This record gives sequence, structure tokens and C-alpha cells, in this order.
Amino acid sequence: MTAPAAPHQHPSADDPRVMLDDEIGHFEPVPPYPPRTEREAEFYTLGDGEMFLNMGPQHPSTHGVLRVVLKISGERVVDLDPVLGYLHRGVEKLCENADYHQVISQVDPLEYVSSLFCEWSPVMAFEHLLDVEVPRRAEYIRVLTGELNRIASHALFMGWMALDLGGLTPILYSFIERDEICEMLASVTGQRMLFNYFRIGGVNGDINHEFMSRLGDWMSRAAEQHDANTQLLNENEIFVRRMRDIGRLDSATALRMAVTGPNLRATGIPFDIRRAHPYSVYPEIEFDVPTRGHGPEGGDALDRYLLRVEEVKQSLRIIDQCLHNMPDGPVMAKLPRLLRPRPGRAWAGIEGPRGLYGTYAISDGTDQPFRMKIHDPSFVHLQLVGMLMRDNLIADTMAVMASLDPIMGGVDK
Amino acid sequence: MDRLLRARLEATLGDRLTGPVRQRHDQTEIRVSPADLIEVMRSLHDDPSLGFEILADLAGVDTGSHMQVVYHLWSAQTPDWLRVIADGVPRDDPRVPSLTGLWPGVEWMEREAYDMFGIIFEGNRDLRRIYMPPDYTSFPLRKDFHLPDDAARSAGGGVRHVEQGHMPAQATPSVARRTVRA
Repeated sequence: MTAPAAPHQHPSADDPRVMLDDEIGHFEPVPPYPPRTEREAEFYTLGDGEMFLNMGPQHPSTHGVLRVVLKISGERVVDLDPVLGYLHRGVEKLCENADYHQVISQVDPLEYVSSLFCEWSPVMAFEHLLDVEVPRRAEYIRVLTGELNRIASHALFMGWMALDLGGLTPILYSFIERDEICEMLASVTGQRMLFNYFRIGGVNGDINHEFMSRLGDWMSRAAEQHDANTQLLNENEIFVRRMRDIGRLDSATALRMAVTGPNLRATGIPFDIRRAHPYSVYPEIEFDVPTRGHGPEGGDALDRYLLRVEEVKQSLRIIDQCLHNMPDGPVMAKLPRLLRPRPGRAWAGIEGPRGLYGTYAISDGTDQPFRMKIHDPSFVHLQLVGMLMRDNLIADTMAVMASLDPIMGGVDK
Repeated sequence: MDRLLRARLEATLGDRLTGPVRQRHDQTEIRVSPADLIEVMRSLHDDPSLGFEILADLAGVDTGSHMQVVYHLWSAQTPDWLRVIADGVPRDDPRVPSLTGLWPGVEWMEREAYDMFGIIFEGNRDLRRIYMPPDYTSFPLRKDFHLPDDAARSAGGGVRHVEQGHMPAQATPSVARRTVRA
């Protein structure tokens, strides 16, 4: 028999009673403090026949660590309140305390399925600050690897989308494609997911033989494989009927909600920064900007899915042109090792797989950015969930959320 | 650089601009006072010759001496990004009107700026912390918030240790060591 622990002592983690008594496991949906805003007070007041339901933060379909408090009436969602911050690292503060080169590895894990795009906009903003001209070969390599990463990201989206609706098979096929691209990029960058590849003034290394042979191999079957994979879903009646007519978003609302990327193009607006505000070598490359959902009521979840299917085909076209047009030459501009841009401000926006990735950087003349703001499309798009979910079934929350394709690493920064 | 945009901005906004229109690379920058912000944004959004329909970003900035709120806009009428700086917001009581009436999607961006800088967006009906826990009391991205291993707080204020030489050693917390004329 052991004596009970003194009250001031913290219970040992080995004590089996700790888990049973642990209050952390319990969750109270209503916050234990008075409402801070009008909206919070309104949300946490229950109407007739309504109840709260907590979803997350460890729910498998929240794409990371997101908690959503649902207010439901029967099986219908009346309102919802996303609670963020579980993945917040304070990247912007870390960047202010890192020098310009170190920033690149800090921003990598933001959207961990499309890291190259997270690197691209800060690197471009710093190049504006420093007035650097990037060699053309480096720009082509950026576009080539970037588009590969876009395909990998969209492949993951399609797999996840089906998984959230209960279909297991598509993600297995998606991962075959995604894994091949990850391996391919690993052979040139050295990393499978967090590439740390772009540099201020170019890229870290030239493309190599292994990359080219893998890429050639994959390109010979990529288009066919993509069609085969998407047929699994496009012709699946359950998938199509569950996706149709949920989460409708029209173009006027989308613009007012500051939506960008595929989610905006699925409302019929052909806004793609690669065309709307060309950067890198995109003006020299031919590709189309697919749009869907042209009607007055806009696009639904199925439109957002099909739009990404189209985008993969355009990315394959871009990769093909990059391989044919890639010039010879250096892959890095000549720059001093310690970068000290003149005091000034710069903004760079690029089109990532989810929309506008932007960086606003202020230099104060030292070797660290004075302020660095990272704009992430997932953060903006997650706002839509509350709006689109009204009067839908709880089971459709995942479908709507997955069709917007947010990545929580980017939302929480 | 779009010179015509500059002329159009000067003609439309006139004396509501608090500084000269600056242009560099593919960016045009204007400065307005927070009091005029909603009017300026409305005319940028509604005027058909400007047509800035897409709000790309909202960033809070602590310059060390005052606060700013920086907006980036895109329009089909110009090849430039437009940067609107709401300038001269006092650090001890930062208040800026909310743009949720014009772009409801700005709500979370304003919540983020509030969470990180303590800037109060008047008119935003859901201005509570978004990343940090509700009982948190600091504003982490302010320049007087130092990390324990903060190079900017160490001797030399932001200069790397390899080259700091004989810079003064003591830094008082609660004082912004780095300031910028942004």
C-alpha cells in the first residue's frame, strides 16, 4: 500500500490513475469564459432543439489539427465555429529572427503537401528587395518542379476527397502518383516533402540524370494514369451524387470572401495569377485556365473537384514545354553570402495549387527581414466552411471542407 | 510600373493620399490615413477605371514607432499590384476601421492582425484571438515582444554574432530595438 501523493506534487506520468483522472480528455463545447464578441455570444447561445457537437481536433477528416464546433439541429448544421491555432508555430516571428537564407527552410512546413510554392513567394519577394535577376534556366527549373509539385498536391486532394466520403481505393492510386513525384523531387532536392530547394537568385542545384530519367519514365504514362485514376471517381455514382449541389459558391460572394485559386475558378472567374499577373517564365508557356460553374448560382463541390482534374492536365502540358524549351546556363545568380537588401518593401504573389501565396517583406538594411507577412490561401478558404455548411447534413461537412482543400499547416502558420 | 495608374490614383483620391505614390518593380504604393481608409477602399473597389476587386492580403506592421495596416489589391485594369498602407496608427491605442463591409472575407485576416499586434478593427463583429489561446495577454509580433533566443535583442541588435564587434550589450525588454522607416 502506497501513501497518497502530497497535493503539491505533480502526479507521475507512470501512475495509471493519471489517465483516468485527466481532465484534458474531456471537452466542454461552450467556452468557460464570457463571450468576447457579439458573434461568439450569438454562436454559443442555443436555440430551440439545437445542440453543440465537437469535431476534432484529432478528427481524421479535418486535414491536420482543426477543431470545429458545430451547432446542429437534428442532423442539420445550423452554424459552425472553427477553432484554429493547434499548429501555430509563429513562423512570421521566426522569420524575423532568421536571416534571409534561413527563411526558406522556415516556410517549408507551412503547406507540407506543396512546399515549393511556400518557398517561391518569399524568394521572389526577396529578389525584388535585392533587385536580383534570376537566370533563365533557374526560372525554368522552378516552373518545372513547381508544376510537378502541383500535380502531387492535386493527386493528394483527389485521394483525400474520396477518403473523406468513405472511398478507400482512390487514395491508394493517388499515392502511387504522388510518391513517384516525391521520389523524383527528392532526387533533385534531397528531400521528399520539405524540399528547401529554391534559393534567393535561383535554385539549389541543377537537375540531374536520375531526375530526368524518372521524369521521362513517368511522363510517358502520366496522362493515361491520371485519366484512369480519375475515372474511378468521375464515374462513381455515389461520389458524384454526394458531391453535386453541396457547398455552392457564386462568383460575387467568392470575390467578396477574398477567395483565390481553383476555388475561385470553380465559380466561373478565370483568375489565375500565372496569367493575371505573370511571373517567372509563365508568359512564354502555353496553357489554358480552366473554369467551371458559370451559372448564376456558381460552382458546387463537384465543380471544384473536376476543376482540379483539369488543372493536372494543364500542368502536364507546362512540364512538357519546360522540358523542350529549357535553356542552358547557370542556376544561381551571383550574390554575396550575407544578404543585406536596402531598406524597402516588396510583395510577391504566386499561384499555388490552392490559390494565392503571397509574401510581404520589409527590409531595414540588416540581414534579417524586419517584417515578413505570409499570405496563405487555406486560411482564407477555411472561412467559407461556416458559410457553405448552413443547412447541410453533418456528413457533408467533410465533403465541403475537403472540396475547399485547406491544409492546416498553412492555416495556422 | 504603370505610370497611368499613378495618374488615375492621384486624380481619383486627390488629397486623401498622405504621401506620394511610389512605384517599384510591379508594385504601386499609396498611403492613406486610417480615418479615410473605408472611403479610399470603396472608391478603389467601385470606380470602374480602377476596379480593384481582389483583396490579396492584409498585413499588420509594427514599425517600432507606430503601427500600419497594409493591404494588397489586384485589378484587371493594371499590371501592377496595389499596396495601400493605412499609416500612422499609434502603438498604444491602435484602431483602424474594419473592411468587413466591403470584403467579408477580410474578417479572419483582421482577427489575425488583432491577435498578433493588438490592432483593433472597429466594426469587425468577431474580433477575438484566432491563433493564441483566449487567456493569452501579449501580442507576439510586436517589436517589443522578444523571443528568449532573439538575435534582435542580443548585443548588436539583429547583427549576426560573427560580426557584432563591440556593440552595446544591454537590451531592455519592452523597448523595440529595431525600428524601420516603412
